[in-house]
Amino acid sequence: MDEATDVKLEGTQSLKGLEGKYLTFVLGKEEYGVGILKVREIIGVMEITAVPHTLPYVKGVINLRGRVIPVLDLRLKFGMAAKEYDERTCIIVVEIEGPSGPIQVGLLVDSVSEVLNVTAAEIEPPPAFGTHLDADYILGMAKAKGHVQILLDADRVVGKGVLETLETV
Amino acid sequence: MAEQKTVPEILDDMALKILMIEPGDLSVVGELVTLVEQLIGSQQGEVSPALGQMGKIFLDALGKIIMGELDDSATNFEHLGKCISEMQEVLRKEGQAGKAEIDTYCAIMQEIGLKVERQAMEGGAPASGAESSPPAAEAPPPAAAEAPPGAANGEAAALENLPDFLKDTELLGGFIEEAFEHLESIEANILELEHNPDDKDIINNIFRPFHTIKGVSGFLNLTDINKLAHATENLLDDVRNDKRAMDAAVIDIVLSVGDYLRTMVANIKDVLQKGPSLYKKFDISDYVRRVQAVQGGSAAVPEQESPVARAVAAPQTTAVAPADPAAVAERQSASAPPSQAAQKKIGATIKVDIEKLDSLVNAVGELVIMQVMVKQNPMVAAISDPKLTRDIGQLSRITTELQKTAMAMRMVPIRQTFQKMTRLVRDLSQKSGKLVDLVMTGEETEIDRNMVDSIYDPLVHMIRNSVDHGVQPPAEREKLGKPATGTVNLRAYQKGSSIIIEIEDDGHGLNTEKIRKKGIERGLISADDDISDHEINNLIFLPGFSTADKITDVSGRGVGMDVVKKGVEKLRGKVEVVSTPGAGSQFVIKLPLTLAIIDGIVVRVGEERYIIPTIAIQESIRPQQEQYNTVHGRGETLRIRGHLIPIIRLYEAFGVKSTYTDPCEGIVVVIESEWGKRALLVDELLGKQEVVIKSLGGYMKDIKGVAGGTILGDGRVGLILDLAGLVAASDARE
Repeated sequence: MDEATDVKLEGTQSLKGLEGKYLTFVLGKEEYGVGILKVREIIGVMEITAVPHTLPYVKGVINLRGRVIPVLDLRLKFGMAAKEYDERTCIIVVEIEGPSGPIQVGLLVDSVSEVLNVTAAEIEPPPAFGTHLDADYILGMAKAKGHVQILLDADRVVGKGVLETLETV
Repeated sequence: MAEQKTVPEILDDMALKILMIEPGDLSVVGELVTLVEQLIGSQQGEVSPALGQMGKIFLDALGKIIMGELDDSATNFEHLGKCISEMQEVLRKEGQAGKAEIDTYCAIMQEIGLKVERQAMEGGAPASGAESSPPAAEAPPPAAAEAPPGAANGEAAALENLPDFLKDTELLGGFIEEAFEHLESIEANILELEHNPDDKDIINNIFRPFHTIKGVSGFLNLTDINKLAHATENLLDDVRNDKRAMDAAVIDIVLSVGDYLRTMVANIKDVLQKGPSLYKKFDISDYVRRVQAVQGGSAAVPEQESPVARAVAAPQTTAVAPADPAAVAERQSASAPPSQAAQKKIGATIKVDIEKLDSLVNAVGELVIMQVMVKQNPMVAAISDPKLTRDIGQLSRITTELQKTAMAMRMVPIRQTFQKMTRLVRDLSQKSGKLVDLVMTGEETEIDRNMVDSIYDPLVHMIRNSVDHGVQPPAEREKLGKPATGTVNLRAYQKGSSIIIEIEDDGHGLNTEKIRKKGIERGLISADDDISDHEINNLIFLPGFSTADKITDVSGRGVGMDVVKKGVEKLRGKVEVVSTPGAGSQFVIKLPLTLAIIDGIVVRVGEERYIIPTIAIQESIRPQQEQYNTVHGRGETLRIRGHLIPIIRLYEAFGVKSTYTDPCEGIVVVIESEWGKRALLVDELLGKQEVVIKSLGGYMKDIKGVAGGTILGDGRVGLILDLAGLVAASDARE
C-alpha cells in the first residue's frame, strides 16, 4: 500500500466518523450544521443581559430555567454584519466540554432549518482556504438536498470563543 | 495555585499554620515544610541570606519532628511559633537580622534540641548542617523512615502496601467519610463526658463508634486502624462494665487516640485522592501500649508521651469542671437539653448529593419566578374570578414554602463547628494554666453548609484570642474579685436575615488607649481626630495591627484579627468588637444566612440593571452641584460630610448607555470596599431585593466588577457587582 492511498483511507475514515444527524441553521446566506448530540434545546430569542468587558460577539447571559448561560452571536463571531433580531432568530443551546465539566452555551443564529441525516458519501473535508471562517471550526462540508452545509465543531467554536474573551479582558 | 507568594505572605501563612497545629498532626507539619521551602526558594535576591538560613534551620527542625527525632509536642510547636515571629521581625527590619533576633532564634532552636551554627546565619555563608541536604530531599524521608523495615524506600513500600486496601476504593471512600464522622462524634461525646463522667449513655456513645471503626477497618484490611480501635474499644468496654473508672487519664488517651486515628484516616484519604506515593505507615505500638497501660489501671503512663497532659497536669480537672457547681447546673439546664434533643434527631437524616440539591433549588427558584410572571400577565390579571384569585394566592403560598424548604436543606446546625471549639478551649486553658469555661448557646442555629469550613478559622482565632489575651490567670482574677474560672461565651443566633455569632469573654477587655496610640503611631488616625472608643477598638482588625510592644509576644504576630476580618468578609459578613474595660470584650460576627442569597439594591443604568450588595452600601444621595469637584489628574470626587469620595461612573466602567451623565441628575451610591469609599453613579434606585446568586458559568467568572448573576423578578438576568474588582479596575484606569 503506498502512502497516497493510506492518507486517503484515513481521510475517509475520519469523514465516516462525521456521519449522523445534524441540526442545520442559517446565517446570512449560508447554511451550517451542528451535531445533534451537542444540541440541548432551541429557544426563541429573549432579552439578553450584556456583560461588560467581553468581546463584541459575546452578547451576554440569559436565564435558561434558572441557570445563567452565556450567549454568543455567531454572525459576529464569524465576521458577518450584525442583524436585527426577528421572529425567526433563535438561540441554539449546545453543551460542550468545559475545563470543569460540561457547560451550556447559547448560539444566536438567524433561523433554524431542520435535522438532517448526513451520510459519509455526502461529506467532504473542509476547504483549506477560501472561507472567512477559521478552518479549525469546520468539521467538513456536507452536500445534502442540493445545498452545501458547513458542519461546525461546536466545542471549538464555543471553547475558543469564550477562552479568547478571557484572555483579552 | 502557581502564583508566587511574597515572603511576608509565606511567613504569615506559617504563623497561621503553627497557631492551628495540634500535636500529632503531621499533615500540617507537611504543609509547613512546603511553606518553608517556598520561603527558601523565593529568598534568592529578594530576602537577606540570614532569613534564608533561618528558614533552613526551621526546615531541619520540621524534618526532625516528622522523623520522630524531635517531640511533636505542643511546647515545641510553641517554640517554633516564636521562631516564626523572629523571622517576621527580621523581615520587618528589611532583612537586616539584628544580633538580638538571631540570638533569640538560636536560643529557641537549641532549646528544642537543634544544633545551630550561628556563623552561618550571620555571615549568610551556606555552612550549616541543613544546607548540605537539598530542601526537596527533606520531605520524602519521613515516609520511608516510617515504613516497615522490610520495605526499602517510600515509593516501593507504598505500592507494596497498597493493594490490600485499594481493592475497593468505593467502600474505602465510604469508610473514610464515616470514620471522620465517628471520630467527630467521639470527640464531642468525650468532651460532654467531662461534665457528666458517670453518664453511661455517653460512654456507650463513645464505645459504639470505636466498635464500628474497628469492625469496618478489619473488614477492609486496615490492620493498624483496626488494632488501635480494638485496643481502645477494650478499654472503653472495661469502663462500661465498671471495671475501670472513667477518669482524666481515660479521657486524655481516648482523645489522643482519636486524633491519631484521624491522621491515619486522613492519610488514606490522601492516598485515594492523590496517589499511592503519599501512603504512610503509622506506628501504633506506642498508642496501643498507652491504651493498655491505662486499661491496666496503672496511671504510670510515661508522662512525656502525653505532652498536653504534662503541660498542666494539676489544673486539668478543675479547668474543665468549673468550681461553682451551682453555676454549672444552671448552665447545663440551659444548654444541655436542646443538644440532647437534637442528638436524638440525627438518626432521621439521609445524605443527598449536593448537585441534586442545587438543581432542586434552581428549579424551585424558577418556579417562583414563573408563578409571579403568570400572575402578573395582564390577561390573567384581568380575569375577575374569585376562585382564580384564591387559587393563585394558594399557589404562591405553596411555592414560597417550597422555596424556603429547599433553601433550608442546604443549612446545617453550627453545632459541629462549635464542638470543635470545646476541644480548643480545653487544650488552650491547659496550656496557659488558666481556668476557662466555654459556654455555648444556640448550637442548633443553622448556617449554610458551604460556610461551615470557612467560619472555622476565624472562630479559632477569636477563641484563642479570648483565652490567651482576654481571660486573666486565676490569681489575677481573684485579686480583681472575679471568679477564678473565666468564662468564654460562644453564642449563635439568627437575627433577621443574618446569623450572629458572638464570642464574649469576661477578661480585661481591650486597652483602648494603647490602640489609639498605636493607631496614631502608624498614621491610621491623627491625634486630634474625634473618634469614639468603639471605632478605635475596631482598628485591631487592620492587617498587621498589633499592640504588643515586641513581636515575640504570642499576640504580636500581626496575623490575628485581620485574618478573622478577611475570613468573615469572604463570607460577605462583618465583624466588630465591643469592649468594656475591666469587664471583658465581645466579638460579634454577622454573617448572611446563606451564601446562595444576597441582600442587594437593584439599580438601573440606562437599560441595564445591576445589583449592589447591601452590606457594602453606606448611603445613597442625589449630590448637589457644590459637592462636586474635579481634581486635576485624579478624576472626580464628591464632598460628602467632609470626606472627598472618588466617583465611579458605572456606565463608563461597564461601557453602557446611561440616562444621566451629570452626577447631580443621577443618584450616587456610596459604597465601602477594601480599597476605600467610592461613589457609584447610577440612574435610579429600583429597590431592595434578596437575590439568589448564580455563577455566570465557568468561563465568565473572572470578569472584573461582576461577582455573578441573578434572575430578577421578570425572568431576566441581572448582574451582581463585585465592588472590590470594580474599584480596582477603575483605579487602574486612572
